[in-house]
Amino acid sequence: MPDSSPESNVTRALSASDAGRVSAHSAVEQELIELFDQLRDRLFRYLLGFSLTVADSEDIIQETFLALFLHLQSGKSRQNLRGWLFRVAHNLALKHQRSRRGAESISESIHQTLNQPAPNPEELFEMNETQKRLMTVMLALPEQSRCCLYLRAEGLRYREIAEILDMSLGSVANCLERSLARIARAAER
Amino acid sequence: MAADGELSARDDRRVHAHLNACWRCRTRKQEIEAAIGEFIRTHRRTFDRQIPPAAGPRALLKARLAQLAEKQSISWSHWLSHWSRAISFRLSSAIAAACGLGAMAYFIFHIWAGQPTEPMAVTVPDPILTPGAAVLASEKEVCSQSNTKNKVVPVALQRRVFDEYGIRPANPGAYEIDYLITPALGGADDIHNIWPQSNGGTVWSAQVKDALEDHLRDLVCDGQLDLATAQRDIASNWVEAYKKYFHTDRPLTNYR
Repeated sequence: MPDSSPESNVTRALSASDAGRVSAHSAVEQELIELFDQLRDRLFRYLLGFSLTVADSEDIIQETFLALFLHLQSGKSRQNLRGWLFRVAHNLALKHQRSRRGAESISESIHQTLNQPAPNPEELFEMNETQKRLMTVMLALPEQSRCCLYLRAEGLRYREIAEILDMSLGSVANCLERSLARIARAAER
Repeated sequence: MAADGELSARDDRRVHAHLNACWRCRTRKQEIEAAIGEFIRTHRRTFDRQIPPAAGPRALLKARLAQLAEKQSISWSHWLSHWSRAISFRLSSAIAAACGLGAMAYFIFHIWAGQPTEPMAVTVPDPILTPGAAVLASEKEVCSQSNTKNKVVPVALQRRVFDEYGIRPANPGAYEIDYLITPALGGADDIHNIWPQSNGGTVWSAQVKDALEDHLRDLVCDGQLDLATAQRDIASNWVEAYKKYFHTDRPLTNYR
């Protein structure tokens, strides 16, 4: 005989609610994993370009997606999740950089990258010369311009870049124009 | 902006019309596009080689999401369990309220009389303040720990826990600052997993909970209980968990 006491009714209601929450969680998790597959490499390149190590970049990406999980679980805006992820990753990278790294490590990290061996030494030499020239130009750019350039390279629109870096649209356009002009000069040499 | 496709349709048409007529600007546009191409190639070549495969991090993210959901579930079910009890015991609440008024009168009388008060008995933690928190660890990792004794909680953290619970113990020995999910079962060193448990004033004392923790760990390490269930049960209501796993309504004397 079914138990119709108030407590058992509550228990049944709770079970249904639990099932609903589990299903909602699975949907959010699925969405998150899909976003992770789509955007992980882009976020990784952005963070590496930001001077972080591979391990630190990996950690920040994990933290970023966990933050997105909490964001979605709490029913907040789902508008432009790609921009949201880059903005959170950017802020975490800044925080990390401030706490652990100085400006010197940026060039160290890039020089280490450039000096990694590749299969074809001639090709590598040619590639590295170009890379080194461009990287020298990149390193000479203000950090904000570098961030603009890297975000644009990952396919973000000017408006998204402006939101992530908390800049005006005009400033983003100016930064990119100046940076590209310098890169063009370096590539022509 | 024109090279980046960021102009409005109208402005874009005007720029294109100008480019068709102007060699200088057309050359400039080609230079910008060549620079973008060069930059993208360099950018990818430099960084793509460093990016490790995604399979491991993806699995880690899934595990951490599951852990996060579990933590939220623990907190949620504890809150719901309280709500459920509140409904089923609403009648006894009225009686308790009457007793509470008596207790308040007793308390006020003792304050006025300038006599010391007895420490407040805390049997189960406040689910909002202490929902429980666990680290990401497998059964194997948990069971391979040689030292299963609880770590000493730093004094500063102990003070924060007392503050959160609004307890100013005249006698610090009246409470044991305890982990809700013991580290021996993967409990985290986190304020959400730490609470002040009464040593006396209740039969459900810290020593009784210690016995439950040892028993649950034995069950987990013997493969009779999965770790997540043990963590959830002890965090939801450790007294109910004790009753469930020791098949008793009151603490067993031989375990105390």
